[in-house]
Amino acid sequence: MKRTWVGVAAASLVIPGLTAGCRQGQPERSEQFPAGTVAVAIDSATAARNAAREPGALATVVADTAVGWSGQRPFEVASRTGGPEAGHSRLFGTITLPIVLRTRSPALTQYPCTSCHAGSRVTMAARRMPDVHHDIQPVHPDTSGAVCATCHAPEDASLLVLLEGKRAPMDQSYRLCAQCHFVQANAWAGGGHGKRLDGWQGRRVVMACTDCHDPHHPAAQSRIPFRAPVIERIRSETP
Amino acid sequence: MTDGRAGDLPERGDDGSLLQKPVDRRVALGMLLGGAVVGAQALSACSPLNGETPEEREVRVLAWQEYIKGNYRFMTEEERAETIARLEELATLKRREDVTIQSTGAQPGVVFGYAFNISKCQGFRSCVEACINENNLDRRAETQYIRIFEMTEGEVNFDLGDATFQHEVPAEGHFYLGTQCFQCANPPCTRVCPVGATWQEPDGIVVIDYDWCIGCRYCMAACPYWARRFNWSAPEVPAEEVNSNQHYLGNRARKKGVVEKCTFCIHRSRQGRLPACVEACPTGARVFGNLLDPDSEIRWVLEHKHVFRLKEDLKTEPRFWYFTD
Repeated sequence: MKRTWVGVAAASLVIPGLTAGCRQGQPERSEQFPAGTVAVAIDSATAARNAAREPGALATVVADTAVGWSGQRPFEVASRTGGPEAGHSRLFGTITLPIVLRTRSPALTQYPCTSCHAGSRVTMAARRMPDVHHDIQPVHPDTSGAVCATCHAPEDASLLVLLEGKRAPMDQSYRLCAQCHFVQANAWAGGGHGKRLDGWQGRRVVMACTDCHDPHHPAAQSRIPFRAPVIERIRSETP
Repeated sequence: MTDGRAGDLPERGDDGSLLQKPVDRRVALGMLLGGAVVGAQALSACSPLNGETPEEREVRVLAWQEYIKGNYRFMTEEERAETIARLEELATLKRREDVTIQSTGAQPGVVFGYAFNISKCQGFRSCVEACINENNLDRRAETQYIRIFEMTEGEVNFDLGDATFQHEVPAEGHFYLGTQCFQCANPPCTRVCPVGATWQEPDGIVVIDYDWCIGCRYCMAACPYWARRFNWSAPEVPAEEVNSNQHYLGNRARKKGVVEKCTFCIHRSRQGRLPACVEACPTGARVFGNLLDPDSEIRWVLEHKHVFRLKEDLKTEPRFWYFTD
């Protein structure tokens, strides 16, 4: 699989101090990837400009070519961030709107799944999920009748299990979700669903399903909106 | 009577060489003002007691030069560079802002299009917040380019829509539909402008030269989508909140009495970036791209989704489509 860097090379070219700062206390990036990984120099002039203008933006996004969508218009999936301050943010004037790319399997260093879920230490059938994973609201499994092992591989909880028995890494959540949500997945691959990083031009890097949706509680949460406009257009009296 | 008045006027070219030269009103005014400015400088240099600091004098000189400049559309590259240098200097001197004003032109082979997913929008108004910060919108008058309408489910009826909702969203039985400037392919607003201060760029963005606008608001009356905003007072943006990445035709400082509008974030989109509203949308309801690129997302939406536009019977041909999942 071709694995490419987006933004990293550009940021280190334009502002070496910035990326050097991000790397403090971190192993070399190449060590975080399995053997055979190819780090390709960035070719997006847009990303280079963005990195120069907005420190932090796109500095640490890694992209994979999407598995299973060959033959369609090309795109890549942003899989995770590598820096200690995992995340992706854009500056709008003085405020920062974060777009969080949740760190996935290779970044699960503090509590790797396998520290508990290896062999028979804690099996997926154990009913201790609310005790340990208290932050997970199992709304989606409850409504769809799924259990942990429907999506998570029992022998290695850091892997996802597909319906046909294959295993997929956490970063490729779209392969799992697309098994049921194929309409949304097709729209995502085409460009009608989801978000694209790095602008409308150049390489098309999109976010994966779980970057926006909590897989256990996928619907958007309600909230209080930003303030309403002061001036409002005249509405007709008779609705 | 008319004969007598004509007789009072000197014949053209009779009284000196100035009238024989092909000098238009603007150039003549510039020459006169230039002389006045030089004279004032000489005067103030001779009499330091007139109370004007060198900085104030520079502001005055720059402001005069700005006052007599031409329409941006017909400026040469040098003239554009000069006025941008003046505007950046004025921002520093008058408002203590360190801004960069672009004059980036349209990319060849690019026409921008926008699509809005009314199934996705939840009415959070994150786009509005990002737009205000990105485009240096007036904080005091609370100008907003984007309207998010809370619509009753089942029909697109703006009489049942409410853009002033302020409660937890999404509300039951409603969907949300956002409007802004649609950058029409056949814009009625540009044709009514009596001074040519607004026009359509080759990439489809309808822009305004704020220094040429006279504030007559004809364009606002002509726009069937209520997309333009008028500055009843000088826009106020706290210096620490000013977005320094600016474009002459976009988010640079406006003044009292001019019209402004959404430009698809011209300073961002012409550099290959997404408009601020697209980036800020937490639901992915906004799709932006090049209509001429068959691999773009906007083309995928137009080819695969049922889309509609607002007030299509007016033949304004908006480059802004609505679609559902």
